[in-house]
Amino acid sequence: MLKGIIAGLLAVALLSAPVFAADEATMRAAKKEGKITWYSSITLNIAQHICNNFNKKKMGVKCILHRDGSGKLYRRYLQERKGGIYVADVVHTSNLGHFLNLKAKKIITPYKPAGTDNFNPKFVTKDNYWTILRAGVLMPFYNTKKISAKDAPKTYADFLDPKWKGKIVHSHPSYSGFVTNGMINIVNKFGWDYYKKMAKQKPKIVQSAAGGIPLVARGEAWLGAGTTSYSLLKLIQKGEPLKPIVPPAGLALVTSPNGVFTKAPNPNAARVFTDYLFSMETMQLLADYFLYVGNPDVKYPKALPPLNKINLMAIGGAELKKKNKPTRKMFKKLFGV
Amino acid sequence: MTQDAQQLPGMISGGEPSATRKFDYTVIVWVVLLILLIILVANPIFQLFKESFFVSEDEAGGFTFQNYIDAFETDEYYKPMYITMMLAISVGSISLVVGAVMAWVVSRTDIPCPNLIRNGILASFVTPPFLGAIAWIFLAGQNEGWLNKWIRGLFGLSEEFYLFDIFTMKGVVFAMSLYSFPLVFIVVLAGLNNISSDVEDAANVAGGGTFHTMFSITLPLVAPSLFAGFILAALEAMILFGIPAVLSIPAGQHTMTTQLRAFMVSEDDLLGLASAYAMPMLILAIGMVWTRGIVLGRRGYATVGGKGGQRRPQKLGAWRIPIFILCLIPLVCAIVLPGFALLTTSFMRNLGGGLEWSNFTLWNYHFILTNDAVRVSIYNTILLAIMAATGATIVAAVSAFIAQRKLIKGHQYMGFMATAPIGIPGIVLAVGLFAAYTKQPFVLYGTLWIMFLAYLTKYLPLAYQTANAGLSSIHPELEESCRIMGANRLQVFKDVTVPLFKTAVIASWILVFMPSLRELSASVLLWTTNTKVISVVIVDFYEETLLGPISALGVLLLLITLVAIVAGFRLVGRDFMSSSG
Repeated sequence: MLKGIIAGLLAVALLSAPVFAADEATMRAAKKEGKITWYSSITLNIAQHICNNFNKKKMGVKCILHRDGSGKLYRRYLQERKGGIYVADVVHTSNLGHFLNLKAKKIITPYKPAGTDNFNPKFVTKDNYWTILRAGVLMPFYNTKKISAKDAPKTYADFLDPKWKGKIVHSHPSYSGFVTNGMINIVNKFGWDYYKKMAKQKPKIVQSAAGGIPLVARGEAWLGAGTTSYSLLKLIQKGEPLKPIVPPAGLALVTSPNGVFTKAPNPNAARVFTDYLFSMETMQLLADYFLYVGNPDVKYPKALPPLNKINLMAIGGAELKKKNKPTRKMFKKLFGV
Repeated sequence: MTQDAQQLPGMISGGEPSATRKFDYTVIVWVVLLILLIILVANPIFQLFKESFFVSEDEAGGFTFQNYIDAFETDEYYKPMYITMMLAISVGSISLVVGAVMAWVVSRTDIPCPNLIRNGILASFVTPPFLGAIAWIFLAGQNEGWLNKWIRGLFGLSEEFYLFDIFTMKGVVFAMSLYSFPLVFIVVLAGLNNISSDVEDAANVAGGGTFHTMFSITLPLVAPSLFAGFILAALEAMILFGIPAVLSIPAGQHTMTTQLRAFMVSEDDLLGLASAYAMPMLILAIGMVWTRGIVLGRRGYATVGGKGGQRRPQKLGAWRIPIFILCLIPLVCAIVLPGFALLTTSFMRNLGGGLEWSNFTLWNYHFILTNDAVRVSIYNTILLAIMAATGATIVAAVSAFIAQRKLIKGHQYMGFMATAPIGIPGIVLAVGLFAAYTKQPFVLYGTLWIMFLAYLTKYLPLAYQTANAGLSSIHPELEESCRIMGANRLQVFKDVTVPLFKTAVIASWILVFMPSLRELSASVLLWTTNTKVISVVIVDFYEETLLGPISALGVLLLLITLVAIVAGFRLVGRDFMSSSG
């Protein structure tokens, strides 16, 4: 009996021990620093959920979240750096191109998060300047109360049907790295001609990649040209009248890196937090939010199609870096904002 | 220090014996005010001007005209300027008609419940315009707007039919007019109150009817106020950021303010381009304020009989009730409907659902109250509003006092200095502050101080006008008699002027406090992680289209504003909102 209790207690103790392996010295230094500021482009509710969970650990380090779009986070950091202000410790966006720039200028520093040894190799890097925190696809979708499954667009080209004029919502690449990434893939496949025609459909322009969902959920728009798969599937789970569209041409895969700033004001806390981001707990949380992660041991929700079952379009960081600015410029030219 | 101060006035003022004999505050006051003016206005505008001629992309950028060429050459940057001008003219005209008619009705006729109308207008005046715009998405969205659905239901029309579409430039004009017409109302009401009814009575006696009198007598007399009101409303439309950010970006159309912000948050460093782009806005705004000053300065010819004459309300007769209902329409559109839309949406679980109990949730409130950014922003908003109100009121009260009592040499320039920032649009000011205080050695960016500077600069003119108006009603004889009795200036100020001056000071404090609560156009360029304010969080949430949490946050912001107004009524009385004239 007593043995059983002790064994049970031991098991609890083992389970609740930090699964990430920041060493004692780092942990002590992190406590002294007391906080970590995370510049993150993942949707606000998920980012806040992660921060809150981290804070609940009572490790003596407080997570301060600064959520914004990839492009704005990048600009903000460079601007602050110019003024000699260093606020951010850890950065996570959906624009791998930016990370190439940050690495070239040594603005981020290599760090290998604990527990990533067995990760899917596509999610880790050799030089450890960043690790992919999550992946998703840019998903077109529609409102099921407004459009029947029969009438709903099946392909990207179907979105250009004049009957959808004024009923589409499109997100902005200057704000969302997720959308920039997806647009480059679609342009690679169909050329700019596709977006020239899309602009003629007079879509409503929202900023964030997930920003189109509420408009379509309300029925204010009927179709979304592309949103973050994870936000969409989560809201469908919550009961919003929405449905994804999976065009045969494929969906754009967007992988979102996470890195540590060289001049992080709280370098130790930054490492402790990064370990936490890649811990089983957060990996599973992200999976529950319908995101793909590097850890092979997480359990995905049933409604999330396995990545190898989707026809994927993908581009590398170098291509993203090269085409980032021309894509934003062209968008502004075609869509007016 | 005393020695210095005694010597310096002589050097500057040319050594008049009276100035050197006793301690004179002239120099200290001037130096302090000058430094303040340099920090608040001169340096930011200078830096803005400078940046507009430099390449910002690489750090060793040289002199260039390229920013101006880029800003004015391409269609896509030029078009927002044209759109903004059209907006300004349309909003100015609509506000003029609505505001002036309502001012006349309230001031001159026997309309029922004039106080209801007046308070309603003041309530729309303090409603944050961006909240109104967001609420109108729920009300007048093309497909799902409640008003459109209601009309479809009423007449059995198809899903395709819509009467209103808020995501259009017409929608922007409508929303802006709702929150700009109170400016016209306040100015025209003040103008009307300055005209005696004698002349109108004369017209009546001579056989002119109510409307004939209005058009041939009252209207020409208040023409300067009308013009000033138009300018104010047009200017507001030009410099407003919130409404176009909410409504015209989805419609694929930038205005100058949203384009300016797009430059500032672009991945590429476009500070130079933004500065060049801000120039026409700055010049236009200052030009408009200047024109208004000239026209109002000539108001003398209108105030024939001063305020003295008795005012008799014109009888509206059979028109009384119809006109009353007409007057309620703008108020319903500006406050009642948006308030209702925000309140109900803030309790909705699924945005796709309707107004059923099954769709009721407190989740949105839970979301905002457990969100770190929101908590920080509530604290910052209130702290900043208190700081700005206190700072602006102190500076305004001191300058107004000096100007009114002609205390120092050059007192006549006090008013000019305190109201110097009046023409500078908030967003342009923010670009300037950004250019001035994000680089060494004066890094204020990232602190609340830079936002404090922005608020102080933006609202100082308002505080000054209020304080000045209040002070001009206190006769200097009271102070002079105390001086004769041997009290020094400081004692007189403390024991005589301050108690009499208190109402104006409190009014000016609240008049700065309230708009500070919802300041957006400057904050949106200056905030950082730890210095978010509520308005910025709302725009932030809007960029993620978090309509539920926005509604909850909007309700919260309206509640805070309401508390401030009620406090204001209690402390100063109902008229404090219009005391700035």
